[in-house]
Parts: sequence; C-alpha cells; structure tokens
Amino acid sequence: MPLLINREVVAQDSWQFLDAEATLEQVPQDGDVVVPLALYLEHRSSLAGRSGRLGVQFNGDDNIEVLLTSLSDLALVAIEFPVFRDGRGFSQARLVRRAGFTGQLRAVGDVTRDRLDHMQRCGFDALAVPDDRFKPEVLNAFGEVSVHYQAGADDPRPIYRQG
Amino acid sequence: MYQYTEVDQRLVDARVAQFRDQTRRFLAGELPDEEFLPLRLMNGLYIQRQAPMLRVAIPYGLLSSAQMRKLGHIARTYDKNYAHFTTRTNVQFNWPKLEEVPDILAELAEVQMHAIQTSGNCIRNTTTDHFAGVNANEIEDPRPYCELIRQWSTLHPEFAYLPRKFKIAVTGGPEDRAASQVHDIGLHLVKNDAGEVGFEVLVGGGLGRTPIIGKSIRSFLPKADLLSYLDAILRVYNLNGRRDNKYKARIKILVQALGAEEFARLVEAEWEQVKAEQPELEITAEEFTRVENFFNTFEYDAAAAEDVSLNAQLEADTDFRVWYEKNTVVHKVNGYRAVVVSLKPMLAPAGDATDLQMDVVADLADQYSGGEIRVTHTQNLVLADVKNADLYALWKVLAEHNMARPNINMLSDMIVCPGGDFCALANAKTLGIADQINQKFEDLDYQYELGEIRLNMSGCINACGHHHVGHIGILGVDKGGEDWYQITIGGSDKEDASLGKVLGRAVGADEVAGTLEKLLLTYVESREEGELFIDTVRRIGVAPFKEKVYAPAH
Repeated sequence: MPLLINREVVAQDSWQFLDAEATLEQVPQDGDVVVPLALYLEHRSSLAGRSGRLGVQFNGDDNIEVLLTSLSDLALVAIEFPVFRDGRGFSQARLVRRAGFTGQLRAVGDVTRDRLDHMQRCGFDALAVPDDRFKPEVLNAFGEVSVHYQAGADDPRPIYRQG
Repeated sequence: MYQYTEVDQRLVDARVAQFRDQTRRFLAGELPDEEFLPLRLMNGLYIQRQAPMLRVAIPYGLLSSAQMRKLGHIARTYDKNYAHFTTRTNVQFNWPKLEEVPDILAELAEVQMHAIQTSGNCIRNTTTDHFAGVNANEIEDPRPYCELIRQWSTLHPEFAYLPRKFKIAVTGGPEDRAASQVHDIGLHLVKNDAGEVGFEVLVGGGLGRTPIIGKSIRSFLPKADLLSYLDAILRVYNLNGRRDNKYKARIKILVQALGAEEFARLVEAEWEQVKAEQPELEITAEEFTRVENFFNTFEYDAAAAEDVSLNAQLEADTDFRVWYEKNTVVHKVNGYRAVVVSLKPMLAPAGDATDLQMDVVADLADQYSGGEIRVTHTQNLVLADVKNADLYALWKVLAEHNMARPNINMLSDMIVCPGGDFCALANAKTLGIADQINQKFEDLDYQYELGEIRLNMSGCINACGHHHVGHIGILGVDKGGEDWYQITIGGSDKEDASLGKVLGRAVGADEVAGTLEKLLLTYVESREEGELFIDTVRRIGVAPFKEKVYAPAH
C-alpha cells in the first residue's frame, strides 16, 4: 500500500498494524506496532514496557477523550476512514493535533485522491492510499485549490490574516 | 455587492479545473460512481429523471446584472431557455449535459459564480433577508456577515463530509424573512445591553421528515467570534451527528436527542478550546470594514423624494396602482421603493424564468436599481432600490414580460418545488396542482379579499417547498402509485414561526383546489376584523376547518 508522507511516496514503513481483534499476547515485544484503541486503553502500562515504538488506531465510532490526555506515549496515531462519506476523521485529526500530538498522524482506510488535500489541512502528515487507487498523478491532488479561506491544522490564519 | 478579489477568483478558477478533472476521471472509469457521486453533488450536479440538474449558487440571493445575463446565456446555450429559482435562493438548470457541465462552470467563473456546495452533505448557500440593507427595521445589514460565512464555509477542509446537508440563515433584525428558525443554524443580529452588535444563535431547526423549530443556544455572540463559534457547532455536529440513518442525520436530531442545553454545553466547551488554540479566528475590525464597504455603495438621490409623478400615475392607472400596492415595498430611503418581480404568473411553474426574462430583469436592474437583483426564498426576484419616479416605466416592462402579476404574498404567490415532473426524489407532481389552484382562484380580487396567505407545496417529504411552514401547506404523497395530497394549516416561517397541523386524510389530485376553497370559506366566515388566515387558524384551531372539509356531502 503506497504511503505518502509529507506529500511524497516513501518506500519504507516500519510500522506493523495489528488487527481489531488482536490481544495483548499478540503484540510483539519489539518493533514499531500500531494497536487498536481499546487494547491500548486496557493495557497501557504493559504496552509501555515494550522496546519498540507504539501507535494507536481508531475511527469515528471511538470515543477518544481519554486518549487525548495520553498522547505523549505514542509515536503514531492512525485514524481510519471506514467509507468515503465518513468525515469524522477530519475532526478527530484536528482534536489530536490540538492536544499537542507531534508524531505521525496517519489516515488509513478509504484514503483516496479527492480527499488528500483536506486530510493534510486537518493535520495528517501520512496518508496510506490503497494500492488499487494509487497512481503517480495522485500527488497532483495537493494544492489543486491553493486558496484557503479557513484556518486549518496546517495554518492557524484565516484568509483575513494571511495578508 | 461583494466583488471577488484576485484570491476569490483564483479559488473558483481552481475549483473549475478540479471538477473538470474529476469529471474526466469519472468518464474514463478511473473514479468509481460512489466517489464521483458526493464529489459532483458538492458541485451542485444531480442526476435527475430526465437529465442531470445543475444547481448554481447565488450567495445570500444577491446577483449583479452581468451575472443574471450570464444565467440567461447559459439557459439559452446549454439548456432549454429557462432556469428555476429555488427556496435556497439558488438557481437550477434542468437540462445540462454532464460533459458540458465543466464548460458551464467555466462560464460562471467568468462572472464570479459557481456551483460549489449547492448540494451534498456540506455547508450550503447561506441565505438572508431579501430586503437586507433597504429595510428600516434592521439592526445592521446582514449581508457582510453572510459573505464572511460564505468564505469560511467554502471548501472548509474539516466539514466537507458532514453527516448530512447543513443550512445557515441570517436575519438583520427582529423581522424574519429568511425562515431562519427552520434552518440548521439561524443567526439573528441583535444588540446587547451595552449596545454592541452580535448574534442570537439558534440551532437544530429544519423541515423534511422531522420538522422542528430551532432552539436558541446563545442569546448574544460577539460578532468577532462568529466563525470560531460556527467552527465549534460544526465540529460537535460532525463528530456526534448520526451517520447510520440519513433520515436521522441532520443536526436537529442530534440537538433533540441531547437536548438543547446539553448541546449548547458541548458547543460552549468546544468553543473555549477553539479560541484558545486559534485566537486568529477572531474576525478583525479591518476585515469587517473591508467586507462592509462592498455593501453600502449605493448612492441615493436626495431629490428622489421630491417626485410628484408617481401620485399622478397611481391616480390615472388602476392596474399600476394595484401592482404598486401588492408588489412594491417601503424603502428606508424616502423616494425609493423595493420592487418584487413576480415569478408567479398565471400558469407557469413558480420560480421559473426564461432566458429573455432574465435579460429583461438584468436590463431593468441596470436602468433603475443599481445593477443588482435579489432572489427571495419565496421564489421571486427583487429590485431593491427603485426611485418612485421610475416605477411606472419599470412596471410597464415587467408587465410586458409577464413578471408583474400583482400577487405578492397572496394565495397565488405559492412556493412550489419542481415535483414529480422533474425531481427524482418526488413522490407526487406539483406543477399541475399549482395550475389547478391558479385556475380555481384566478380572480385576483378574491385573492385580495383573502389577504396575505402563504401557500407552500412540496412533492415529497423532503420539503423543498417548505410545506410545513406555509399558512397552508400541501404535501404530495404516493398511495398505490397515485398522487395524493396531505394538507396542513397554521404554519409560519416568520419571526412567529410554527409548524402546520395536518388537517386530515389526504385528498385526491383533482380535489386540492376544492379543498382549499372550503378552507378559505371557513376562514372568511370565521375571521374577525383585520385577521389574516393564519391568525384565524391560531385563534380557532384546526377543528372548524377540518369539519368543513370532511363534512359528508348532502
């Protein structure tokens, strides 16, 4: 699956994503691993003892209030977009960035060309585009509309302060 | 009116290029149907019964003459010589070709127009009072705020995939001509005790399947905080609105489920964080001034009040006098009137205008009204700044082109959605029923005798025709493949907003006008001195009307 980081395709991805049903026993002791939110919230202290880096994945159905207070343990946050029409991940990304998270914020799931620019503006720096939807032209999606009336996670200035 | 800066133009031009590429990818099979669908909807393009339908945005209902001419040109060149003005004060073309839509959008961009967010689950065109800026009772002209909202909502990266569509209306003062209480957000300009201008904020109003009057969640919002507060409301909605059932996805359902108080608490808590994170959202005094300066440019002629020709013309020409009384409105400047151009002729779809009529209105606007035209949510047009001395000449031209039927706010000034003849969502036809009503009540003197009545008709439960808030509402329903019509009475979309109550069982397609006649007769028999239809319904209730309508025939 092509991974874009800061608008460029990267060849290497050190992160291993565990599936939604994964248990604590299945979490490898080392290496970079992304666990489901529920697993993380339940086993936060055990997971902190691993040697590799830790990430968490959730989607719009998940309540992330508690997570927002403990983001400093994490090197990656992955937000899943279950379907094209589901826009909750945009707001969740804003909340994660507002909470001070400076690690990788990755969009996964239905991550396709026509939403990439909005995703980046909401704070995602990593975008995992499904294989069947990736073409090199996808990179043209960034900045198709260069005018931004609103503040975003990328720029706190609305149009009237961009001067 | 607002003029695009180079930046605004760049955005619209870029959006045209972006949509052209999306259409190309769709036609080439690179973009799946289910993804092109929301993308084309966010650009106003529906696939309808006969052909695609393109809905073009008219921000807060304000058009220049050049823009109106462009709409006429598009109707002539790409469509069947007419267009339809809607209750969202937008305009629809019913017969464009999908592959020509990018060209139409490019033509629109030449006159600072577009179809951005006229459909889809995003923030739609903001609407306001069609007498904004010329009405003496407003606190301030609401249009500068509408323009700020237009910019804020346009291609908002966080709120392009909301649970459902989202509509905002703004009023300039205590009078409500924008149906603001049945919007997702209603903003009312108010003054606080310190004399500062801000907004009362209502949320969760709406029509459709579950009609609800909006609830006030804040009595005074400083105007500089308008956009940060809107961000907070939209974020709470985007995160918490239901996505499992499209009929329960509007913000009104969320507000109802949580209760207005709890919803307000969530918004206020979010707002505090929004402001703390991005104090830059506060609108600057310079920006207010910059935008306001686009809207108070009209130079009134002090000598206009000295005109004596109008009185003589009113004396001499009864038809003119009747039109003057019904279709023109008092203006804040002495010597001027605001003119309502009736798009409710005897037998033609409400809100439709031909290419020629659009050209004529554009010319009249240039000649008599500062080159600007407004669209009303009741599907008429307004020339807002006409000198008394020019009214007679203006009326003559309007009459010649079938736009001077003196019926504004009368029974035949109906809001009517396009219905089953055009719309793929409709359950029943509406246009033939409107004709039937027009034929039954053709006599305008009878309509004047009845006084102001708002009659609203929708061809389905989605309520584009605002039937719930008509004094009389008509809703088309499908029963076993036949069109039937359910009638409500007692609705209002004004400052005294209320939802109509169902009269009784639906009536057949050939019985609608006859049923109205019985309702109106009941009103005439029961009314007290000076009472409008709505007043009588409120005083005596639905029962007497129901009895009359469903009484067994003798």
